[in-house]
Formats: sequence, structure tokens, C-alpha cells
Amino acid sequence: MRSFFKKNRKVLNLIPVLIILGLLVIGCAGPTFQGWSGFAASDGMLYFGGIDGKVYAINLSARNQNQTFPGENEWVFNIPSTGVPGSICGTACAPASPRASIYATPIILGDLVCVGVYSGDTGKVVAINRLSPGYNEGVPQRSKGEWTYPSGIKSMGAIVGSPIAADSTLFVGTSDGYLYSIDVVYGENKWQFGTGGKIWTSPAIEGDLIYVSNYDKKIFAISSAGSEVWSSELPASVASSPAVSADSILVGAFDNHLYAIDRANGKERWNFAGGNWFWSTPLIAGNTVYAGCLDNKLYAIDASTGQEVWQFVTNGPIVSAPISVDNFVIVASDVGDLYVLDSATGSMASSIHVGSPVKAPLLADGNTVYVHAGNLCVYAFDIQRGEKVWEFCYSVEE
Amino acid sequence: MLDIWNIVILEPVLNGLIWLTNVLGGSFGWAIIVLTIVINLLLFPLRVRQTKSTKAMQTLQPKIQELQKKYAKDQKRLQQEMMKLYREGGINPLGCLWPMLIQLPIWIALYQSIMQALGATPESLLNLSQHLYSLPAIGHAIPLNDQFLWLHLSRPDPNLILAILVGGTMWVQQKMVTPPAADPRQRSMTSLTTTMMPLMFGLFTLSFPSGLALYWVVSNIIGIVIQYFVSGGWGYLRTPAAPKPPPTPAQKVLPAPKAPVAEPSKTLQKATEESKTIKKASEEKKKGFFGR
Repeated sequence: MRSFFKKNRKVLNLIPVLIILGLLVIGCAGPTFQGWSGFAASDGMLYFGGIDGKVYAINLSARNQNQTFPGENEWVFNIPSTGVPGSICGTACAPASPRASIYATPIILGDLVCVGVYSGDTGKVVAINRLSPGYNEGVPQRSKGEWTYPSGIKSMGAIVGSPIAADSTLFVGTSDGYLYSIDVVYGENKWQFGTGGKIWTSPAIEGDLIYVSNYDKKIFAISSAGSEVWSSELPASVASSPAVSADSILVGAFDNHLYAIDRANGKERWNFAGGNWFWSTPLIAGNTVYAGCLDNKLYAIDASTGQEVWQFVTNGPIVSAPISVDNFVIVASDVGDLYVLDSATGSMASSIHVGSPVKAPLLADGNTVYVHAGNLCVYAFDIQRGEKVWEFCYSVEE
Repeated sequence: MLDIWNIVILEPVLNGLIWLTNVLGGSFGWAIIVLTIVINLLLFPLRVRQTKSTKAMQTLQPKIQELQKKYAKDQKRLQQEMMKLYREGGINPLGCLWPMLIQLPIWIALYQSIMQALGATPESLLNLSQHLYSLPAIGHAIPLNDQFLWLHLSRPDPNLILAILVGGTMWVQQKMVTPPAADPRQRSMTSLTTTMMPLMFGLFTLSFPSGLALYWVVSNIIGIVIQYFVSGGWGYLRTPAAPKPPPTPAQKVLPAPKAPVAEPSKTLQKATEESKTIKKASEEKKKGFFGR
């Protein structure tokens, strides 16, 4: 044994070097970001943010016929980074120009498709004319109604939660702790509301109030003029985006609980304990809340009492929000399976193997469910027949 | 294999770090400092043993070099003589290696934990959920606040303060334990360790999350304190660099590098005394034939 160490002294001398290299690898592997944008659909087109940081417009008809991309009306745009090189991991391991990622689901407002950008510490909202895009490498074409907010080289906090809109105003929360109200026509700031904590969730709007939570355990009700109506502090920070029912706001928190908050005053109505975080936005259908949990379960909960109605165990954590189609609830696991469940009983009607992790929100159109998977592919599944209709795969350009 | 690593080593350290953050009023910076100190206290006996073994090995270096020259063409005999020397000096040549190997997984787990606990990106935050215990104290602390003093712990320190602290403390620690070498090859290696390593880590600090740099600074300071009290003083930090060997080394005997004046430990005393006895006997026998 001793002679082994003596004979291999040179190799052993390499150990400290290998340790340093190992630490570098660990250090660099941690903070990678990719994105999990869902879909915005309009006029037979799907708009989404790719894992490669580009915005795609795909024509459902062209995809159905398996045409070469880009087909008719289809386009793809690169979103340049707004971040500083090395702002997350450092110059040691970040590429010279770190690319932007898209976690937020785009939103369509008239001719514009609005995209929230995540670029390390910074972000931007980009509005592209979806019918006749003129946007080029971060520069919008004003004559086509395009804009970016903030304009030029300026940036705001990184955007993770999806923007929402009411009338001609866009609301978006950012990691600098502000909820921004942006005029859709001019791309100008109407007002901004500071919450004092990072916002990585989407706001929700109901009537005249906007509900938004931050990572400082707070949830706010804000008027359309930008003033606070009420705020409430939860035992833990909110992990999921809020869902609004007739009388409650439903949010999942990092203490493994789903909370129902009274819409009128911000007081807790009930809470429900899961086995891990409720990360995905809950679905409210009738008097039932369907909440996907990172403990691999989908819970159906009575919206009035907070009592469990049924639970369904999937084969992986549920990151993507469940959706409702007729009498079915459809949920995807992060392992890569799609489940079609009877909404009343929780019994499985069918399941489809996607084959790649699903984190992005699903979109249903009739019997067709669109899935943006982690393997850089978009799938269209017919849930009635339980089969894939088409797939569109894009690739990351290095 | 990865699961075993996560369950046995990573997750206890990670959850301990987050629990400490909650206990310390949500300050992740203080949690890093306290956990680094706690782990160092737990590993204190191992570090003391490692320090003592290293020190004792250093006292035998002149003799080892002598043997290497004498038996340069007979590796088998060299091994035998070296083992004999270690045996007579009461030293286990692997004595300084095992404590280091045992400590290594814990340091890596602490390193990984700091990276993961911060949840700096949506993916890393989501990934964190799979490593946490279902305890209220853990859930209430997530996501961690990365503000500490002037630092954002998930981002590099834009100032040079932390880089200087990392490089400086590492240089002091390296300098305390590295004896000045007479051999040019050995001297270049020593210079690489004492100068390049602190410089490299100082540069890493400008690029890596400052939470990690904070851990490096605290670890270095603890290392300096242990070294100071175990070896008794500032070690080789105050020793001037060894003179360059003269051009005719074959017949010339260079003086052994002078260790700092300090209260030697029992193991050290024993090793030094025995080393001297062996050296004396050898010199008498060979009549100073072999130079260093």
C-alpha cells in the first residue's frame, strides 16, 4: 500500500489540481438556465419561447403536414441577452455573451406577441408584430408597433412569471421586486409597484384588482391604478402563481402547503398540506381545485373547505400546471408522461408517453394538447386517441 | 452512487445550512460562517493529526533526500530504507493523507450545498425541492435571502475586497506550512503552491458566487488558527527563503531548512530526536560521504 503511494506520487500530486477542476465544474454546472415557456395561440398559430432563447411562431397547419420550418407565416427570432457576461456564474464559466432564456409564456395583444425575457439578473419585455415581424437582434421596428421595455440597452429585473394583460395594459413581475404596468401601444411604463421581494411568479387579475406574490412571504392586492388595497403575510414564501376563484386566491408555498386566501381581505381561509412544494399554478374548475405537487401527486381539493377529494400519483414531480378539457383533467409529470384523468374521480382515462421532461404549461385546443418538452420539441397529442399527431423539434445553436 | 452521495452527505449538510439560516434570522451569510466553523470543530481532531503528521514528515525530508541520492539506482532498496526510516521515526507516511481524504467529501458537500441552497436560477430552485427535508424550519427559510453585508451571495463580489481576503488568507495559510526548499525543482513547486494557488482562488472569487468565497475565507482563517496553535506560532511564514544551492552540490552539505522557533508537539519531538539519532549514526558510518 505504501509503495503504491510512493510509486504513484506524480499521480497523487495531481489530486489537488483535480479537486480544483472538480469544484470548478460543480460551480459552473449549478446555475445554468434554460426556460420553460408555454404557448400563446391565435389564428392557427402557436407562439412560444424556445429553450434556445428564441421566440418561435409555428403554423399548426404547416406542422400538421410536416412541412419544412419556416413554413407559411412561420418565423423565429433570436432574443439577445440583456445581462452582463458572468453575472450569474462568473467569467470563469459563463459564455462571453450569455444568452437570454424564456420562462414566461408569451401573451398576444392584438397584432403583438409580448415575451418576458430572463437574462441572469436582468430582463426585458419584448413586443413583436406577429403578423409582420420587423424585430431584429433586439431592435424593434416602431413603424410596425413593436417595442421593448425598457427601451434600448436598458433593462429591468429578470422575468420568470408570465405577463398578464387587461385592456391595453400589460402587468409583469420581475426579480427586482417590482410589478410593472406597461402600456401595450407605446411600450411605456404607466406605474410600478415595489413589493420588497423577488417576484418569480405571474400576477393574476380579477375585476379591478391585480394579485401578486413575492419571495418575501407576501401577497398583495393592487388596484388598477397601482395602489395597494391589502397585503398579507404567509408562513412561507409563495412558490406558485396565484389562481383566483370566486372568493379565494389559491397559492402554493415553500412550506409544502396550498393556501386559500380571502380575496376581500387577504386572510387565510384554509390550507392543505402536500408532500413537497406546490410549484405549478393550481387549476380551478367548478368547486374543485386541482393542484399539482412536486411530491409526484395531483390533488383534487374542495375549494370551499380545503378537504381532499382525491389524489392521483404520477411517476414524477408535477411542475407544469394542470389543464381542464371537458370532464377531464390533464397533467404532465417532469419525468415525461401525460395523464388524462376523470375530473370527478381521479381515475386515469389514458396516458401518453412524451419521453422527455415537461415543465412548461400545457395548452389544449379541443382534443389536441400541445406540449413543450425538455428535448426541444413541441408535440401535438390527440388525447381522445392517445396518440401523437405531429412533432416539431428545434435545436440549440452554439 | 449519486443517490447515496446525496442522501448520506449532501442532504444533511444542505438542510443543516438552510436550518441554520432560519435559526440565524434568515441570514445565509452567517449560516455559511457558523456551519464552516461547526464542521471544522467536528473535524478538528483529524486536522490536528494531519498537521502533526505533515510536520513530522517535514523533519525527515533531509534524510529522505539523502536516501534518494544514495539509492537512486536501486528503487527497491530505496523503498526499504525509507520504510525503515519512517518506522524508526515513528511516522506513518499516509498519516497526513487519510485525514485529508476523510475531510474531502464533507468540504465538497459544503461547497455543493452553498451552490444549491441559493437557488439562483429557476432550475436550481426547482432542483432544490428534491433535496429538502419536510421540516417547517426548512420550508419557511426558502428561498434564501442572498444579501449579506455588502454582498449578494449568489453573485460575485464586484469589489476586490473578498478576492483580496481569499487570496491573502490562503497565502498566509500556505506560507505557514510550506518549508523553504533548497532544491530548485522543489522550490519551483513550493512557489507554485504558495503563490499561484492564492492568486488562482483570488481570481475565482471575482467570478464565483460570493457565498463560496465567504466559505473559502472562513475555512482559511480556521486553518490559520489551527496551524498557529498546533504547530505553535506562525510556522514558516517568518522563515526567510532558502539560499540557492551552490554549483558543486555533490560534495557540499547544505544546511537543513530551519524550522521556526516553536514549542514542538510530542510526535514532533519524537520524530526530530529520532531523525537526529539516525542522521548522526549514518554520518558516523559514512563519515559525511554523502552530501545533500
